[in-house]
Amino acid sequence: MSLSSIAKIDRRYLYVLLFIFVTLPLLYPLKLPIPIGEHAKRVYSKTEDLAAGSIVIESFDFGPSTRPENFPQAKAHLFHVRERGMKVVALAFWPSGAPIGEDALRQVYGSDFPNIPEYGTEVVYLGYVPGAEVGMQTFADNTATAKGTDHYGTAIGSLPLMQQCQSAADFDLWAEWASGTPGEQQVIQFVQGRHGGPSAVPIVVGSTAVSVPGMMPFYLTGQIYGILNGLAGAGEYEFLLSIDYGYTYAQGPSLDAQSVGHVLILLFIIIGNIGYLLTRSKGGKS
Amino acid sequence: MIQDLFALIFGVFATIFIYSFLWKENPLSRAIEHLFVGMAAVYTLAGMYDAAMTQAIWGTQRIEQGNFIWLIPILISLMYFFFFTKKYFYLYRYPVSIVVGIMAGMMICGMIQSNFLAQIQSTARDLPLIGAGVWEWSTVPGTGFPGLNSLIIIIGTITALSFFFFTWEHKGALGVSTKIGRYFLMATFGAAYGSTVMARISLFIGRLRFLYETTFDESGILVNAWYIIPIAVACVIIVALWLRSRPEAKPPEPAPKPEKPKSKG
Repeated sequence: MSLSSIAKIDRRYLYVLLFIFVTLPLLYPLKLPIPIGEHAKRVYSKTEDLAAGSIVIESFDFGPSTRPENFPQAKAHLFHVRERGMKVVALAFWPSGAPIGEDALRQVYGSDFPNIPEYGTEVVYLGYVPGAEVGMQTFADNTATAKGTDHYGTAIGSLPLMQQCQSAADFDLWAEWASGTPGEQQVIQFVQGRHGGPSAVPIVVGSTAVSVPGMMPFYLTGQIYGILNGLAGAGEYEFLLSIDYGYTYAQGPSLDAQSVGHVLILLFIIIGNIGYLLTRSKGGKS
Repeated sequence: MIQDLFALIFGVFATIFIYSFLWKENPLSRAIEHLFVGMAAVYTLAGMYDAAMTQAIWGTQRIEQGNFIWLIPILISLMYFFFFTKKYFYLYRYPVSIVVGIMAGMMICGMIQSNFLAQIQSTARDLPLIGAGVWEWSTVPGTGFPGLNSLIIIIGTITALSFFFFTWEHKGALGVSTKIGRYFLMATFGAAYGSTVMARISLFIGRLRFLYETTFDESGILVNAWYIIPIAVACVIIVALWLRSRPEAKPPEPAPKPEKPKSKG
Protein backbone atom coordinates (compact mmCIF):
# COMPACT_ATOMS: atom_id res chain seq x y z
CA MET A 1 0.00 0.00 0.00
CA SER A 2 1.47 3.33 -1.02
CA LEU A 3 1.43 6.33 1.25
CA SER A 4 -0.74 8.23 -1.21
CA SER A 5 -3.53 5.66 -0.77
CA ILE A 6 -3.67 6.33 2.96
CA ALA A 7 -6.33 8.96 2.42
CA LYS A 8 -8.66 6.17 1.27
CA ILE A 9 -8.36 4.03 4.45
CA ASP A 10 -11.71 3.34 6.08
CA ARG A 11 -11.82 5.54 9.17
CA ARG A 12 -13.26 2.67 11.20
CA TYR A 13 -9.84 0.97 11.21
CA LEU A 14 -8.51 4.08 12.94
CA TYR A 15 -11.28 3.87 15.55
CA VAL A 16 -10.35 0.25 16.28
CA LEU A 17 -6.67 1.17 16.59
CA LEU A 18 -7.51 4.07 18.89
CA PHE A 19 -9.71 1.80 21.01
CA ILE A 20 -6.89 -0.72 21.41
CA PHE A 21 -4.22 1.86 22.15
CA VAL A 22 -6.39 3.65 24.74
CA THR A 23 -7.56 0.43 26.39
CA LEU A 24 -4.16 -1.17 26.92
CA PRO A 25 -2.75 1.53 29.26
CA LEU A 26 -5.99 1.43 31.26
CA LEU A 27 -5.57 -2.30 31.85
CA TYR A 28 -1.78 -2.21 32.18
CA PRO A 29 -0.80 1.28 33.42
CA LEU A 30 2.50 2.57 32.06
CA LYS A 31 3.12 4.87 35.07
CA LEU A 32 4.47 7.65 32.88
CA PRO A 33 5.95 10.64 34.73
CA ILE A 34 3.63 13.61 35.24
CA PRO A 35 4.97 17.11 34.68
CA ILE A 36 2.84 19.41 36.86
CA GLY A 37 1.73 22.41 34.84
CA GLU A 38 1.93 25.98 36.08
CA HIS A 39 -1.86 26.37 35.78
CA ALA A 40 -2.58 23.50 38.18
CA LYS A 41 0.17 24.61 40.57
CA ARG A 42 -1.48 28.01 40.86
CA VAL A 43 -4.85 26.46 41.77
CA TYR A 44 -3.09 24.38 44.40
CA SER A 45 -1.02 27.23 45.84
CA LYS A 46 -4.02 29.57 45.96
CA THR A 47 -5.98 27.02 47.96
CA GLU A 48 -2.98 26.34 50.21
CA ASP A 49 -2.51 30.04 50.91
CA LEU A 50 -6.03 30.56 52.22
CA ALA A 51 -6.46 30.51 55.97
CA ALA A 52 -8.56 27.88 57.72
CA GLY A 53 -12.13 29.13 58.01
CA SER A 54 -12.06 30.92 54.66
CA ILE A 55 -15.27 30.65 52.66
CA VAL A 56 -14.93 28.85 49.33
CA ILE A 57 -17.72 28.75 46.74
CA GLU A 58 -17.77 25.49 44.79
CA SER A 59 -19.92 25.90 41.72
CA PHE A 60 -20.82 22.75 39.77
CA ASP A 61 -21.71 24.13 36.35
CA PHE A 62 -21.47 21.09 34.16
CA GLY A 63 -23.58 18.12 33.15
CA PRO A 64 -23.12 14.36 32.81
CA SER A 65 -21.58 14.76 29.34
CA THR A 66 -18.37 16.29 30.74
CA ARG A 67 -18.38 14.48 34.08
CA PRO A 68 -15.22 12.42 33.30
CA GLU A 69 -13.22 15.66 33.08
CA ASN A 70 -14.91 17.98 35.59
CA PHE A 71 -15.86 15.60 38.38
CA PRO A 72 -12.34 14.46 39.43
CA GLN A 73 -11.20 18.10 39.42
CA ALA A 74 -14.07 19.22 41.65
CA LYS A 75 -13.78 16.23 43.98
CA ALA A 76 -10.02 16.71 44.46
CA HIS A 77 -10.48 20.42 45.18
CA LEU A 78 -13.31 19.75 47.63
CA PHE A 79 -11.06 17.30 49.44
CA HIS A 80 -8.26 19.90 49.56
CA VAL A 81 -10.59 22.56 50.92
CA ARG A 82 -11.96 20.23 53.58
CA GLU A 83 -8.46 19.14 54.62
CA ARG A 84 -7.41 22.78 54.98
CA GLY A 85 -10.36 23.45 57.31
CA MET A 86 -12.15 25.86 54.98
CA LYS A 87 -15.88 26.41 54.78
CA VAL A 88 -17.68 25.35 51.63
CA VAL A 89 -20.79 26.78 50.05
CA ALA A 90 -21.55 24.48 47.12
CA LEU A 91 -24.14 25.19 44.46
CA ALA A 92 -24.94 24.68 40.77
CA PHE A 93 -26.14 27.15 38.16
CA TRP A 94 -26.91 24.22 35.84
CA PRO A 95 -29.89 22.01 36.76
CA SER A 96 -27.89 18.94 35.70
CA GLY A 97 -25.00 20.02 37.92
CA ALA A 98 -27.07 19.73 41.11
CA PRO A 99 -27.02 15.92 41.53
CA ILE A 100 -23.37 15.78 40.46
CA GLY A 101 -22.46 18.33 43.11
CA GLU A 102 -24.29 16.33 45.74
CA ASP A 103 -22.46 13.19 44.61
CA ALA A 104 -19.08 14.94 44.98
CA LEU A 105 -20.00 16.18 48.46
CA ARG A 106 -21.09 12.69 49.51
CA GLN A 107 -17.80 11.23 48.28
CA VAL A 108 -15.75 13.80 50.18
CA TYR A 109 -17.82 14.43 53.33
CA GLY A 110 -19.21 10.90 53.67
CA SER A 111 -22.21 9.00 52.35
CA ASP A 112 -24.40 10.38 55.18
CA PHE A 113 -24.14 13.91 53.77
CA PRO A 114 -26.02 16.18 54.59
CA ASN A 115 -26.71 14.38 57.88
CA ILE A 116 -23.26 15.16 59.23
CA PRO A 117 -22.38 17.29 62.27
CA GLU A 118 -20.55 19.95 60.25
CA TYR A 119 -23.46 20.59 57.86
CA GLY A 120 -24.60 24.18 58.19
CA THR A 121 -21.46 25.37 59.95
CA GLU A 122 -18.62 24.07 57.73
CA VAL A 123 -20.44 23.08 54.57
CA VAL A 124 -23.74 23.97 52.91
CA TYR A 125 -25.23 22.68 49.70
CA LEU A 126 -27.64 25.04 47.98
CA GLY A 127 -28.26 22.81 44.95
CA TYR A 128 -29.56 24.38 41.75
CA VAL A 129 -29.75 28.15 41.82
CA PRO A 130 -32.01 29.31 38.97
CA GLY A 131 -31.49 32.26 36.67
CA ALA A 132 -28.09 31.47 35.10
CA GLU A 133 -26.24 34.82 34.76
CA VAL A 134 -28.97 36.67 36.63
CA GLY A 135 -28.83 34.03 39.36
CA MET A 136 -25.06 34.43 39.64
CA GLN A 137 -25.34 38.18 39.95
CA THR A 138 -28.13 37.93 42.51
CA PHE A 139 -26.18 35.36 44.51
CA ALA A 140 -23.12 37.60 44.57
CA ASP A 141 -25.20 40.64 45.61
CA ASN A 142 -27.19 38.83 48.29
CA THR A 143 -26.96 35.07 48.71
CA ALA A 144 -30.32 34.79 50.50
CA THR A 145 -32.17 36.52 47.64
CA ALA A 146 -30.83 34.07 45.05
CA LYS A 147 -32.22 31.09 46.89
CA GLY A 148 -34.28 31.05 50.06
CA THR A 149 -33.53 27.46 51.00
CA ASP A 150 -30.70 24.98 50.64
CA HIS A 151 -30.94 21.83 48.50
CA TYR A 152 -32.82 20.04 51.27
CA GLY A 153 -35.40 22.73 51.97
CA THR A 154 -33.80 24.28 55.06
CA ALA A 155 -34.19 28.06 55.21
CA ILE A 156 -30.86 29.72 54.45
CA GLY A 157 -31.30 32.11 57.38
CA SER A 158 -31.17 29.21 59.82
CA LEU A 159 -27.76 27.99 58.57
CA PRO A 160 -24.89 29.60 60.52
CA LEU A 161 -22.49 29.42 57.55
CA MET A 162 -24.90 31.33 55.30
CA GLN A 163 -25.10 34.10 57.90
CA GLN A 164 -21.35 34.54 57.44
CA CYS A 165 -21.66 34.31 53.65
CA GLN A 166 -24.10 37.03 52.68
CA SER A 167 -22.54 38.48 49.54
CA ALA A 168 -19.42 38.39 47.33
CA ALA A 169 -17.57 40.46 49.95
CA ASP A 170 -17.52 37.30 52.08
CA PHE A 171 -16.19 34.95 49.37
CA ASP A 172 -12.48 34.14 49.74
CA LEU A 173 -12.30 31.95 46.65
CA TRP A 174 -14.68 30.98 43.86
CA ALA A 175 -13.93 27.52 42.44
CA GLU A 176 -15.77 27.19 39.16
CA TRP A 177 -16.17 23.72 37.64
CA ALA A 178 -17.44 24.66 34.22
CA SER A 179 -18.07 23.31 30.77
CA GLY A 180 -20.19 25.99 29.12
CA THR A 181 -22.56 28.85 29.83
CA PRO A 182 -23.05 29.95 32.54
CA GLY A 183 -19.45 29.29 33.45
CA GLU A 184 -16.22 31.04 34.24
CA GLN A 185 -16.82 34.01 31.92
CA GLN A 186 -20.13 34.78 33.60
CA VAL A 187 -18.49 34.55 37.04
CA ILE A 188 -15.86 37.03 35.85
CA GLN A 189 -18.50 39.38 34.46
CA PHE A 190 -21.25 39.20 37.05
CA VAL A 191 -19.44 38.32 40.26
CA GLN A 192 -15.80 39.37 40.07
CA GLY A 193 -16.32 42.40 37.78
CA ARG A 194 -19.03 43.87 40.01
CA HIS A 195 -17.41 43.13 43.35
CA GLY A 196 -13.89 44.49 43.38
CA GLY A 197 -12.03 42.53 40.67
CA PRO A 198 -9.60 39.62 40.88
CA SER A 199 -8.06 40.63 44.20
CA ALA A 200 -11.46 40.71 45.94
CA VAL A 201 -12.95 37.56 44.38
CA PRO A 202 -10.18 35.26 43.11
CA ILE A 203 -11.42 32.61 40.71
CA VAL A 204 -9.93 29.19 40.02
CA VAL A 205 -11.42 27.16 37.21
CA GLY A 206 -11.60 23.50 36.37
CA SER A 207 -12.67 23.11 32.81
CA THR A 208 -12.94 20.74 29.89
CA ALA A 209 -9.82 20.80 27.73
CA VAL A 210 -11.80 22.09 24.77
CA SER A 211 -12.70 25.29 26.64
CA VAL A 212 -9.24 26.15 27.93
CA PRO A 213 -7.89 28.07 24.88
CA GLY A 214 -10.85 30.45 25.24
CA MET A 215 -9.96 31.01 28.91
CA MET A 216 -6.31 31.84 28.39
CA PRO A 217 -6.87 35.59 27.80
CA PHE A 218 -8.59 35.75 31.20
CA TYR A 219 -5.81 33.74 32.82
CA LEU A 220 -3.14 36.03 31.39
CA THR A 221 -4.92 39.10 32.75
CA GLY A 222 -5.18 37.51 36.19
CA GLN A 223 -8.99 37.44 36.12
CA ILE A 224 -8.67 33.66 36.45
CA TYR A 225 -6.00 32.75 38.98
CA GLY A 226 -5.45 29.14 37.97
CA ILE A 227 -6.89 26.50 35.65
CA LEU A 228 -7.24 22.74 35.84
CA ASN A 229 -7.12 21.70 32.21
CA GLY A 230 -9.42 18.75 31.61
CA LEU A 231 -8.48 15.28 32.75
CA ALA A 232 -4.79 16.15 32.75
CA GLY A 233 -5.45 19.03 35.15
CA ALA A 234 -7.42 16.71 37.43
CA GLY A 235 -4.54 14.20 37.39
CA GLU A 236 -1.97 16.90 38.17
CA TYR A 237 -4.06 18.16 41.09
CA GLU A 238 -4.60 14.66 42.44
CA PHE A 239 -0.86 14.04 42.21
CA LEU A 240 -0.08 17.20 44.20
CA LEU A 241 -2.66 16.21 46.81
CA SER A 242 -1.27 12.67 46.99
CA ILE A 243 2.13 14.06 48.02
CA ASP A 244 0.89 16.41 50.76
CA TYR A 245 -2.35 14.83 51.93
CA GLY A 246 -2.23 11.18 50.85
CA TYR A 247 -5.10 11.64 48.40
CA THR A 248 -5.65 8.72 46.03
CA TYR A 249 -4.04 9.46 42.69
CA ALA A 250 -6.67 7.74 40.57
CA GLN A 251 -6.12 9.41 37.20
CA GLY A 252 -2.73 7.79 36.47
CA PRO A 253 -4.04 5.11 34.06
CA SER A 254 -6.29 7.70 32.40
CA LEU A 255 -3.36 10.05 31.77
CA ASP A 256 -1.30 7.16 30.38
CA ALA A 257 -4.18 6.27 28.04
CA GLN A 258 -4.56 9.89 27.03
CA SER A 259 -0.85 10.23 26.25
CA VAL A 260 -0.84 7.06 24.15
CA GLY A 261 -4.04 8.19 22.37
CA HIS A 262 -2.47 11.56 21.57
CA VAL A 263 0.69 9.96 20.18
CA LEU A 264 -1.44 7.75 17.95
CA ILE A 265 -3.49 10.70 16.69
CA LEU A 266 -0.28 12.66 16.01
CA LEU A 267 0.98 9.71 13.97
CA PHE A 268 -2.33 9.64 12.04
CA ILE A 269 -1.99 13.36 11.33
CA ILE A 270 1.63 13.06 10.18
CA ILE A 271 0.94 10.03 7.95
CA GLY A 272 -2.22 11.65 6.60
CA ASN A 273 -0.35 14.82 5.71
CA ILE A 274 2.44 12.88 4.01
CA GLY A 275 -0.18 11.02 1.99
CA TYR A 276 -1.88 14.30 1.11
CA LEU A 277 1.39 15.93 -0.01
CA LEU A 278 2.36 12.88 -2.09
CA THR A 279 -1.06 12.83 -3.77
CA ARG A 280 -0.77 16.53 -4.55
CA SER A 281 2.79 16.20 -5.89
CA LYS A 282 1.54 13.54 -8.33
CA GLY A 283 -1.14 15.90 -9.54
CA GLY A 284 -3.98 13.93 -7.97
CA LYS A 285 -7.00 15.31 -6.26
CA SER A 286 -6.46 16.34 -2.67
CA MET B 1 -30.07 -0.76 45.92
CA ILE B 2 -31.73 -2.27 42.88
CA GLN B 3 -31.75 1.15 41.16
CA ASP B 4 -27.94 1.14 41.18
CA LEU B 5 -27.88 -2.27 39.50
CA PHE B 6 -30.33 -1.06 36.88
CA ALA B 7 -28.27 2.11 36.34
CA LEU B 8 -25.14 0.01 35.86
CA ILE B 9 -26.76 -2.35 33.33
CA PHE B 10 -28.46 0.46 31.46
CA GLY B 11 -25.24 2.51 31.48
CA VAL B 12 -23.30 -0.30 29.82
CA PHE B 13 -25.97 -0.83 27.15
CA ALA B 14 -26.25 2.90 26.48
CA THR B 15 -22.46 3.30 26.18
CA ILE B 16 -22.04 0.42 23.74
CA PHE B 17 -25.11 1.43 21.70
CA ILE B 18 -24.05 5.05 21.37
CA TYR B 19 -20.50 4.10 20.30
CA SER B 20 -21.98 1.74 17.69
CA PHE B 21 -22.59 4.97 15.76
CA LEU B 22 -18.90 4.81 14.79
CA TRP B 23 -19.68 1.71 12.75
CA LYS B 24 -22.68 3.42 11.15
CA GLU B 25 -25.86 5.11 12.24
CA ASN B 26 -28.27 2.44 13.43
CA PRO B 27 -31.55 2.18 15.36
CA LEU B 28 -29.78 1.44 18.67
CA SER B 29 -27.49 4.46 18.58
CA ARG B 30 -30.38 6.64 17.43
CA ALA B 31 -32.63 5.39 20.23
CA ILE B 32 -30.06 6.19 22.92
CA GLU B 33 -29.29 9.55 21.32
CA HIS B 34 -32.97 10.50 21.38
CA LEU B 35 -33.31 9.19 24.92
CA PHE B 36 -30.36 11.30 26.05
CA VAL B 37 -31.72 14.46 24.46
CA GLY B 38 -35.20 13.82 25.83
CA MET B 39 -33.99 13.03 29.34
CA ALA B 40 -31.70 16.07 29.40
CA ALA B 41 -34.58 18.31 28.30
CA VAL B 42 -37.02 16.86 30.84
CA TYR B 43 -34.47 16.95 33.64
CA THR B 44 -33.71 20.61 32.94
CA LEU B 45 -37.41 21.44 32.73
CA ALA B 46 -38.17 19.64 35.99
CA GLY B 47 -35.23 21.30 37.76
CA MET B 48 -36.27 24.74 36.61
CA TYR B 49 -39.95 24.18 37.45
CA ASP B 50 -39.05 22.95 40.92
CA ALA B 51 -36.69 25.87 41.50
CA ALA B 52 -39.25 28.39 40.28
CA MET B 53 -41.99 26.96 42.49
CA THR B 54 -39.69 26.85 45.51
CA GLN B 55 -38.34 30.30 44.76
CA ALA B 56 -41.53 32.14 43.99
CA ILE B 57 -44.38 30.31 45.67
CA TRP B 58 -43.45 28.08 48.57
CA GLY B 59 -40.15 29.52 49.77
CA THR B 60 -39.60 31.91 52.62
CA GLN B 61 -40.73 35.50 51.89
CA ARG B 62 -42.65 34.29 48.84
CA ILE B 63 -46.28 34.41 47.75
CA GLU B 64 -47.26 31.97 50.46
CA GLN B 65 -45.92 34.49 52.96
CA GLY B 66 -47.98 37.29 51.38
CA ASN B 67 -45.18 38.68 49.20
CA PHE B 68 -47.30 39.17 46.10
CA ILE B 69 -44.62 40.91 44.05
CA TRP B 70 -43.60 37.42 42.91
CA LEU B 71 -46.83 37.27 40.91
CA ILE B 72 -45.32 39.68 38.38
CA PRO B 73 -42.52 37.38 37.11
CA ILE B 74 -44.92 34.42 37.19
CA LEU B 75 -47.44 36.27 35.00
CA ILE B 76 -44.71 37.48 32.65
CA SER B 77 -43.34 33.96 32.27
CA LEU B 78 -46.84 32.54 31.63
CA MET B 79 -47.07 34.93 28.67
CA TYR B 80 -44.55 32.68 26.88
CA PHE B 81 -47.44 30.28 26.23
CA PHE B 82 -49.02 32.75 23.83
CA PHE B 83 -46.45 31.42 21.39
CA PHE B 84 -48.92 28.64 20.67
CA THR B 85 -51.78 30.92 19.65
CA LYS B 86 -52.08 32.80 16.39
CA LYS B 87 -54.43 35.48 17.69
CA TYR B 88 -52.39 36.52 20.74
CA PHE B 89 -48.93 35.68 19.44
CA TYR B 90 -47.89 39.32 19.87
CA LEU B 91 -48.19 38.92 23.65
CA TYR B 92 -45.43 36.31 23.52
CA ARG B 93 -43.04 39.04 22.41
CA TYR B 94 -43.30 40.90 25.73
CA PRO B 95 -41.51 38.32 27.94
CA VAL B 96 -38.97 37.77 25.17
CA SER B 97 -38.24 41.48 24.91
CA ILE B 98 -37.98 41.81 28.71
CA VAL B 99 -35.47 38.94 28.90
CA VAL B 100 -33.47 40.23 25.92
CA GLY B 101 -33.45 43.73 27.40
CA ILE B 102 -32.29 42.58 30.83
CA MET B 103 -29.58 40.34 29.36
CA ALA B 104 -28.37 43.03 26.96
CA GLY B 105 -28.12 45.54 29.80
CA MET B 106 -26.27 43.11 32.04
CA MET B 107 -23.98 41.86 29.29
CA ILE B 108 -22.94 45.29 28.07
CA CYS B 109 -21.80 46.38 31.53
CA GLY B 110 -20.11 43.09 32.34
CA MET B 111 -18.46 42.49 29.00
CA ILE B 112 -17.06 45.98 28.55
CA GLN B 113 -15.21 45.63 31.82
CA SER B 114 -14.09 41.99 31.70
CA ASN B 115 -13.76 41.18 28.00
CA PHE B 116 -12.82 44.58 26.58
CA LEU B 117 -11.13 47.00 28.98
CA ALA B 118 -9.31 44.37 31.05
CA GLN B 119 -8.02 42.65 27.90
CA ILE B 120 -6.78 45.90 26.33
CA GLN B 121 -5.18 46.88 29.61
CA SER B 122 -3.39 43.55 29.86
CA THR B 123 -2.19 43.63 26.24
CA ALA B 124 -0.92 47.19 26.67
CA ARG B 125 0.86 46.23 29.89
CA ASP B 126 2.71 43.45 28.06
CA LEU B 127 3.73 45.63 25.13
CA PRO B 128 7.03 47.26 26.22
CA LEU B 129 9.91 46.01 24.07
CA ILE B 130 12.55 48.14 25.78
CA GLY B 131 13.42 48.09 29.45
CA ALA B 132 15.29 46.25 32.14
CA GLY B 133 15.02 42.50 31.88
CA VAL B 134 12.69 42.52 28.87
CA TRP B 135 15.11 40.47 26.75
CA GLU B 136 16.35 38.25 29.55
CA TRP B 137 15.07 34.72 30.18
CA SER B 138 12.27 35.05 32.72
CA THR B 139 12.52 33.22 36.02
CA VAL B 140 8.75 32.56 35.90
CA PRO B 141 8.36 29.04 34.46
CA GLY B 142 6.80 28.86 31.01
CA THR B 143 7.23 32.57 30.29
CA GLY B 144 10.44 32.65 28.22
CA PHE B 145 11.60 36.06 26.94
CA PRO B 146 8.98 38.71 27.86
CA GLY B 147 10.17 40.94 24.99
CA LEU B 148 9.70 38.16 22.45
CA ASN B 149 6.22 37.48 23.82
CA SER B 150 5.37 41.17 23.44
CA LEU B 151 6.63 41.16 19.86
CA ILE B 152 4.51 38.10 19.03
CA ILE B 153 1.46 39.70 20.66
CA ILE B 154 1.94 42.93 18.67
CA ILE B 155 2.49 41.17 15.34
CA GLY B 156 -0.24 38.58 15.97
CA THR B 157 -2.88 41.13 17.03
CA ILE B 158 -2.26 43.53 14.14
CA THR B 159 -1.90 40.93 11.39
CA ALA B 160 -4.85 38.81 12.56
CA LEU B 161 -7.04 41.92 12.68
CA SER B 162 -5.85 42.92 9.20
CA PHE B 163 -7.09 39.58 7.85
CA PHE B 164 -10.65 40.73 8.56
CA PHE B 165 -10.11 44.09 6.87
CA PHE B 166 -12.05 43.83 3.62
CA THR B 167 -12.30 47.47 2.55
CA TRP B 168 -9.11 47.20 0.47
CA GLU B 169 -7.90 44.34 -1.66
CA HIS B 170 -5.37 42.12 0.11
CA LYS B 171 -2.34 43.19 -1.99
CA GLY B 172 1.09 44.65 -1.23
CA ALA B 173 1.77 45.38 2.46
CA LEU B 174 -1.80 44.48 3.40
CA GLY B 175 -1.44 41.19 1.51
CA VAL B 176 1.71 40.29 3.48
CA SER B 177 0.03 41.26 6.73
CA THR B 178 -3.09 39.19 6.02
CA LYS B 179 -0.94 36.20 5.08
CA ILE B 180 0.95 36.38 8.39
CA GLY B 181 -2.37 36.94 10.18
CA ARG B 182 -3.74 33.82 8.52
CA TYR B 183 -0.85 31.78 9.97
CA PHE B 184 -1.57 33.16 13.43
CA LEU B 185 -5.24 32.25 13.05
CA MET B 186 -4.32 28.76 11.82
CA ALA B 187 -2.06 28.27 14.85
CA THR B 188 -4.95 29.34 17.08
CA PHE B 189 -7.36 26.94 15.40
CA GLY B 190 -4.72 24.20 15.65
CA ALA B 191 -4.44 24.75 19.40
CA ALA B 192 -8.24 24.67 19.68
CA TYR B 193 -8.34 21.44 17.64
CA GLY B 194 -5.68 19.86 19.86
CA SER B 195 -7.69 20.75 22.95
CA THR B 196 -10.83 19.32 21.36
CA VAL B 197 -9.07 16.02 20.67
CA MET B 198 -7.80 15.98 24.25
CA ALA B 199 -11.31 16.60 25.59
CA ARG B 200 -12.92 13.93 23.42
CA ILE B 201 -10.32 11.32 24.35
CA SER B 202 -10.86 12.21 28.02
CA LEU B 203 -14.57 11.51 27.66
CA PHE B 204 -13.82 8.24 25.85
CA ILE B 205 -11.46 7.24 28.67
CA GLY B 206 -14.17 8.12 31.17
CA ARG B 207 -16.58 5.72 29.49
CA LEU B 208 -13.93 2.99 29.22
CA ARG B 209 -13.11 3.29 32.92
CA PHE B 210 -16.82 3.03 33.68
CA LEU B 211 -17.02 -0.15 31.61
CA TYR B 212 -13.90 -1.74 33.10
CA GLU B 213 -14.09 -0.63 36.72
CA THR B 214 -17.70 -0.15 37.82
CA THR B 215 -19.02 -2.85 40.08
CA PHE B 216 -22.31 -3.54 41.84
CA ASP B 217 -21.73 -5.55 45.00
CA GLU B 218 -24.73 -5.55 47.33
CA SER B 219 -27.09 -8.09 48.91
CA GLY B 220 -24.89 -10.96 47.76
CA ILE B 221 -25.11 -9.87 44.10
CA LEU B 222 -21.83 -9.12 42.34
CA VAL B 223 -22.05 -7.58 38.86
CA ASN B 224 -19.07 -6.09 37.10
CA ALA B 225 -19.94 -3.69 34.29
CA TRP B 226 -17.76 -5.60 31.85
CA TYR B 227 -19.88 -8.74 32.33
CA ILE B 228 -22.61 -6.96 30.36
CA ILE B 229 -20.41 -5.77 27.49
CA PRO B 230 -20.71 -9.04 25.46
CA ILE B 231 -24.52 -8.94 25.72
CA ALA B 232 -24.62 -5.31 24.55
CA VAL B 233 -22.16 -6.05 21.71
CA ALA B 234 -24.28 -9.08 20.73
CA CYS B 235 -27.32 -6.79 20.48
CA VAL B 236 -25.39 -4.47 18.14
CA ILE B 237 -24.31 -7.46 15.98
CA ILE B 238 -27.91 -8.75 15.79
CA VAL B 239 -29.10 -5.33 14.66
CA ALA B 240 -26.25 -5.17 12.12
CA LEU B 241 -27.23 -8.56 10.68
CA TRP B 242 -30.88 -7.56 10.62
CA LEU B 243 -30.03 -4.34 8.77
CA ARG B 244 -28.03 -6.34 6.23
CA SER B 245 -30.80 -8.87 5.66
CA ARG B 246 -33.35 -6.16 4.97
CA PRO B 247 -33.96 -5.35 1.32
CA GLU B 248 -32.51 -1.98 0.48
CA ALA B 249 -35.11 0.73 0.43
CA LYS B 250 -35.74 2.08 -3.02
CA PRO B 251 -34.77 5.70 -3.42
CA PRO B 252 -37.82 7.93 -3.73
CA GLU B 253 -38.89 8.59 -7.29
CA PRO B 254 -38.11 12.08 -8.50
CA ALA B 255 -41.05 14.42 -8.47
CA PRO B 256 -42.60 14.95 -11.92
CA LYS B 257 -41.44 18.10 -13.64
CA PRO B 258 -44.05 20.82 -13.63
CA GLU B 259 -45.64 21.27 -16.99
CA LYS B 260 -44.88 24.44 -18.80
CA PRO B 261 -47.89 26.72 -18.92
CA LYS B 262 -49.35 26.76 -22.38
CA SER B 263 -49.05 30.11 -23.99
CA LYS B 264 -52.32 31.70 -24.83
CA GLY B 265 -53.05 32.61 -28.37
